[in-house]
Amino acid sequence: MDLYEFMRGILREQRWGKVLSSPLTYQLVEKALWLARKGFRWRATYLMARFALAQTKKAYTGEAPVVWTSAFFPVEIVWGLGLCLFSPEVAAAFITSLGFADQALSQADQKGYSRDLCSFHRCIAGAAADGYLPPPAALVASTHLCDGAPLLFQNLAEHYKVPYLVLDVPYESTPEAEKYVAHQLAQIWNTLAEITDRRPDIGSLARAVDYSNQFRNHLEAVNTLRCRIPAPIQGSEMLNYLYLFFAGQGHKEAAAVFACLERELESAVDSENRERFRLLWLHLKPYHKGELMHFLEKEAGCSIAFEEMSHVYWPPLDPVNPFPSLARKILSHFAYKPLEWRIAVVDALARKYQVDGIVHFSHWGCRQSCGGSLILRDALQEKGWPVLLLDGDCLDQRNEAPGAVLTRAQAFLEVLEGRKEGSGGIAEK
Amino acid sequence: MITGGIDVGSLSSEAVLLKDGEILSYSIINTGADARKAAEQVYQTALEKAGLQSSDVDAVVATGYGRLVVPFATKQVTEISCHARGAFFLFPEVRTVIDIGGQDSKVIRIDGRGNVVDFVMNDKCAAGTGRFLEVIARALELSVAELGKEGEKATRVAEISSMCTVFAESEVVSLIAQGVPRPEIVRGLHQAIAERTAGLVQRVGIVPEVVMTGGVAKNSGVVAALSQKLGVKVLVPQEPQIVGALGAALLAQKLAQ
Ligand SMILES: Nc1ncnc2c1ncn2[C@@H]1O[C@H](COP(=O)(O)OP(=O)(O)OP(=O)(O)O)[C@@H](O)[C@H]1O
Ligand code: SF4
Ligand SMILES: [Mg+2]
Repeated sequence: MDLYEFMRGILREQRWGKVLSSPLTYQLVEKALWLARKGFRWRATYLMARFALAQTKKAYTGEAPVVWTSAFFPVEIVWGLGLCLFSPEVAAAFITSLGFADQALSQADQKGYSRDLCSFHRCIAGAAADGYLPPPAALVASTHLCDGAPLLFQNLAEHYKVPYLVLDVPYESTPEAEKYVAHQLAQIWNTLAEITDRRPDIGSLARAVDYSNQFRNHLEAVNTLRCRIPAPIQGSEMLNYLYLFFAGQGHKEAAAVFACLERELESAVDSENRERFRLLWLHLKPYHKGELMHFLEKEAGCSIAFEEMSHVYWPPLDPVNPFPSLARKILSHFAYKPLEWRIAVVDALARKYQVDGIVHFSHWGCRQSCGGSLILRDALQEKGWPVLLLDGDCLDQRNEAPGAVLTRAQAFLEVLEGRKEGSGGIAEK
Repeated sequence: MITGGIDVGSLSSEAVLLKDGEILSYSIINTGADARKAAEQVYQTALEKAGLQSSDVDAVVATGYGRLVVPFATKQVTEISCHARGAFFLFPEVRTVIDIGGQDSKVIRIDGRGNVVDFVMNDKCAAGTGRFLEVIARALELSVAELGKEGEKATRVAEISSMCTVFAESEVVSLIAQGVPRPEIVRGLHQAIAERTAGLVQRVGIVPEVVMTGGVAKNSGVVAALSQKLGVKVLVPQEPQIVGALGAALLAQKLAQ
């Protein structure tokens, strides 16, 4: 069963804002989730849903102070203080998957947010204006990769009238930069403790770092298992684990989800998968009700063998030196560097997963991912990879021309077909 | 072996019937509001013209934005592959195909065997496509078929700065009010479309021969402006609007074999 289908079934006919902020809903959903647990293709998905649900409930019912973190902020810091974490970008994807994005997006329009902005941010702004999100005690955003987040968060901090902390990440990864970031992380950790009235305990931060390492190890194991042909799990399923990537690192439950997935993939065989083409997916996928993923994976028989999001790019963390090693993790992100790094990583992944082609889902308004996509495409094509820059929008379907996304995707598969027939495919390049 | 190709576009639908690589008949109609009905009708007309029954046809490939609603199609293939295949059949030297239809413009790079290597499509709005020309032609009280000749009369070119259909229309209305001669406005439009299309072509690179397909290729003014802008002669088939359907019928031959 599809997780979102399951949730939609429960929430249908209700106003989404009321639903999300009522504790009663969670009791109901928890129960229903438990009853439906056997219907999920992966138990890991059930575990993630349970984890996310528990955290969401905590956030809405005020069990612990809520800290909002931007997509790339090192959340180990927040978990290490025993706080409740809310990731608005993930919430935006979730709201969209449930089919409730339109209201939030129109609210953002009415508030005057430009339609040129990333729809993750517009959706959050709209939902916040509508009063449907759990009020934060503080907001933290990082300046690396996503340039829109720090400004959105400033808007939100004004809206909620709460403190806003920024992690300033230099572009160049030098020893000085590492020190600079580590120092700020320590400061943010202390400030958050002060704001939320927690005792900053280095022991519990070390534990969070340790969980983050477990997460990393299991993810690496999962990634290795995914080299198998045919692919044991689909990219679109992995892209549903967004919550773990952006909000889970440093929490024991997130590590447990990937531990479970690792066990499941060890024994999984997808003999029904014809795997007409294997694809490498860059950036995120559409979370709205568009048919793209269904078309690719179900109708056209493609496998999204791997996606950029799941790549483990950072070295293991050191629980004894949490701040410097978290700083190193941030600074080692391959997309926050000259484009040559991303090109090299994508090329290596394409080889590792023996794909036939690469799709860059060019999400409307995302500068960090799309800004370099032309150079990325040219460089990868030069290395012999067929590349599709697929313009679309993860959340706001109004930004997609009906039919055009599917036509582009299908035409790309026809190109791949032609290559297979012509030259025996990419393996001979 | 007899095969058929059906191209259900946003504005027009075409059917082509082929027998062993020879065109038996073709038909072009407006798509209208009911794409399925248009597909059936255009196919029926082509069959009648060729004196055939649908049972005589070995395979049919459907293309165009309405390709999924053609119930009698053996297979659906995108316009990208079909225009490439059709253009390659007519001009074996072609390496770049430019298809401008009612709402999409596409540039397709093909290799020496007629396979698609790369392609780009315009983004989500219909700026600079056939629909745009239709709206502006109406404001000028001309038909799209008259635009080419009208533009030839101009000695100067009016500047049209907006490519958005709505804004361009009001720009044109104000040019008319200022007394700018109609031919100059038409030339300005053709120029503007050529510039926009050239931008798209540059994204896949210009490799001759360049062939233009789709209904807008019937507009000699756009073709001339584009040839000048690209610095290569843009070739146009005798009936550019059926190239997608022709390609579909050619691809159907493979299926029937
Ligand atoms: N006789 C003509 N002279 C000049 N232009 C013409 C003529 N007939 C059609 N056109 C142009 O061609 C356009 C339609 O092109 P075409 O039939 O290729 O579109 P389509 O395939 O339905 O659209 P799409 O491929 O975008 O879905 C019209 O909008 C018009 O501008
Ligand atoms: S899609 Fe891009 S712009 Fe939007 S939140 Fe993610 S990183 Fe930021
Ligand atoms: Mg067309």
